[in-house]
Amino acid sequence: MGQGMNTRALIAFALLSASCALAADHTWVLKDSTLTYHVSHPLHQTDGVSHAARGKGVCHEGECDFLIAVPVKSFDSGDTNRDLHMIQVTRGAEFPMVTVRTKLPESASGSSSIKADLEIQFAGQTAHFQQVALEVTTQGNDKKITGTIPATLADFKIDPPSLLTMPVKNEIPIRVEMTWSPQ
Amino acid sequence: MRATPSKLICATVLIAILTSTLLYAQDSTITLSGTVTDSSGKVISNAKVTVKSAATGQTVETQSDADGHYVVSNLSAGDYDVTASAEGIGSVAAKATIAAGTPLTLTLTLTQVQAPEAPAENLPNAPAPNKTEPSLEDLGFTKSETQANAQEQALLDKRTRMLKIHQRMGLITAAPLIATVITSLGAGGKNESSASRDLHVALGALTGDLYGITAYYAIRAPRIKGTPKKGPIRFHEAMAWIHGPGMILTPILGAIAFNQKNNGEKVHGIAQAHGPVAIVTAGAFGAALLSVSLKF
Repeated sequence: MGQGMNTRALIAFALLSASCALAADHTWVLKDSTLTYHVSHPLHQTDGVSHAARGKGVCHEGECDFLIAVPVKSFDSGDTNRDLHMIQVTRGAEFPMVTVRTKLPESASGSSSIKADLEIQFAGQTAHFQQVALEVTTQGNDKKITGTIPATLADFKIDPPSLLTMPVKNEIPIRVEMTWSPQ
Repeated sequence: MRATPSKLICATVLIAILTSTLLYAQDSTITLSGTVTDSSGKVISNAKVTVKSAATGQTVETQSDADGHYVVSNLSAGDYDVTASAEGIGSVAAKATIAAGTPLTLTLTLTQVQAPEAPAENLPNAPAPNKTEPSLEDLGFTKSETQANAQEQALLDKRTRMLKIHQRMGLITAAPLIATVITSLGAGGKNESSASRDLHVALGALTGDLYGITAYYAIRAPRIKGTPKKGPIRFHEAMAWIHGPGMILTPILGAIAFNQKNNGEKVHGIAQAHGPVAIVTAGAFGAALLSVSLKF
């Protein structure tokens, strides 16, 4: 009888462990990233690059919530004057972080391409970008995600800065390259 | 009646001062800032703050930061309707009168809203807050990294305003500078008329005045600490060490040359350096202008 009790206890423990494992959260962590904005001006083509983004994805019941954040000041265009002007026009001292939130099905990590709805907070404004195409490649346990967010200055109510009385173009596409690791 | 050089110089100084005043007047703006709180005094982040001009109806929107601070820049003097709201917390409406040249601080205290919450946006996989959603704290950013700095924003705003004027004045200065160089061809030599010299002096004086104003807005623009200088701005500033002293030396040498010519003498001595110094100065000025205007 004692042995039967032990067996039942073991089965119950095994079932409980399995159900807990299925329901447990797991996370993705942003290992490294390159975010590049591109600005067009009749006299200049400028790229500002940041490698300072941090991100985390929490998966629960088949769905993952991702948050990526990057300091506005971390973008470097190779020209201090331009970077300070960029921080000023985007009100980077008042709103020092750019945050990107998205929700993806857990199965998306197995796809080679995904379409994500992004919510981006920048310059005190929140803009939604629907069905942004991203490519996913697997590198061991890591997932590399690349794509371009079709952002514009108008999305964030930013007045186009001008040089020699000529304003920059409204389009500021942001190239995204991120490597995520499971944790 | 012929205009004397001193009258011409006075006239150019007046024109330069008027130009500078008009340019500055266009950029004279005021900041409204403060904190959004609830009725218990707790600061409210991400509250929507709207500032509407009673005179023009123009509306500016912003959000409070993690500490409940908000800042609205570039306002003109006048009466404004200020509203703030935060979902699930409340809203407030206030009136504000902004006086010319005086920043205004206004605390906005939200009161409870009884109306039902609006339905959430229905996107296919749009983000929605839930207990699993990571936060900025989860990412390990420090408070100083995520905290708004209204003082620094005001400094950046002032810097940009002053450098915009610097840029415009630099472009404006280039016109009389070129004209001064061109008229120098008729101001020297043996057969030149005194009228050509007077024109050259007047244009040179106008250039000097405008240059002084241009330099003022660059020198007085606030410096932002902790930003190492990179890129074309380094060359731009290096050129200033050439055209700056050159803009002082050129008119001094020019005045000596002017007197020598008026006395019927051939330009001699140190005054002979007027032309070469002026050319180097103009060249350095042009290079400084191009270095921040064109990408090489």
